[in-house]
Amino acid sequence: MSTNIDLKNLWNKQATSDMPDIKELLTKADNLKKRARHKLIGLNLVLLATTAIMIYMWFNIDNELLTTKIGLVLIVVAIVSFLAVSNQIMPILFRSDFEGSSQEYLDQLIRIKRKEDFLNKVMINIYFTLLSAGLGLYMLQFIARMSTVWAVTYVVLTFGWIGFFWFYFRPRSVKKKQKPLIEMIAKLEEVNRQLGDGD
Amino acid sequence: MFRICMGYVNDHDWAKDIAQETFVTIWQQLPKFRNESAIGTWIFRIASNHCLRQIERQNKMPRSEMPEQLEDHIEPNREPQVQFLYKCIAELPETDRLIISLELEDVKQAEIAKIVGLTETNIRVKVHRIKERLAKKFENYEH
Repeated sequence: MSTNIDLKNLWNKQATSDMPDIKELLTKADNLKKRARHKLIGLNLVLLATTAIMIYMWFNIDNELLTTKIGLVLIVVAIVSFLAVSNQIMPILFRSDFEGSSQEYLDQLIRIKRKEDFLNKVMINIYFTLLSAGLGLYMLQFIARMSTVWAVTYVVLTFGWIGFFWFYFRPRSVKKKQKPLIEMIAKLEEVNRQLGDGD
Repeated sequence: MFRICMGYVNDHDWAKDIAQETFVTIWQQLPKFRNESAIGTWIFRIASNHCLRQIERQNKMPRSEMPEQLEDHIEPNREPQVQFLYKCIAELPETDRLIISLELEDVKQAEIAKIVGLTETNIRVKVHRIKERLAKKFENYEH
């Protein structure tokens, strides 16, 4: 087939790029790793600061009720788990392996994206649940000390805020994270189907 | 390896980026490489998967939204026919791009089968169809 020869000939006429400087490349890769490490250090600082504030509150505010303490713990757990999952565990869980065949790689990517989608939903729900519960419990002690009018105002405001969080922010953040993932899963599945097409 | 990436994205700078990422992966994974498959197959697998990974990026920045001039200025003097070939290949479905690029790169069909994860018969049929498709496009292009 003459086209065959033509195609190969044309294909080979494409100038190739110069061989990359391996030293420079590895330095670049190293820099990326360093940046990731710095991010991790930053994350740990945030975690430490949050915990420090919580400990300060634990000892310096007169926490007579157990609920206040439980509330504090829940808030810390919410923040820590959210940060840990989104910054540290996620990338480890979702690292892909390039050494399989295209089909295996695509299957793997689809699996990873589905897992990411699921974890996002679960994590956001856990985060909001813990945070709302923690905040609610923490407030109890202070509300108990207030006069009825103030207490009612406080409860309405707090739960209004939590409700706003739960019914507005939570679905929004789930959706925001979900949309690109769903689109990508659809695209990956489409590409994967190409491999099975009518042969 | 660069030509495979170029066939996949038809964008000089982008192809260069993919080739570099592939290179880093190969360099990092080399100590782990066991002679279970030929080194060529292994390298092409990594390159192909790096190309497929671009789906993630494409979603972030659709190619159609890139300014036209950008594409022009990165084309380093290519013959119109060569340009047309790479353009046609980049318009094929993603996996077909990889298959035809490997075929044109003179990789054996048995090897392509291992790289892509299909049977050799499948690859033969696909290569034949893709070539027919490209030939038709070239006919239209020349007339």
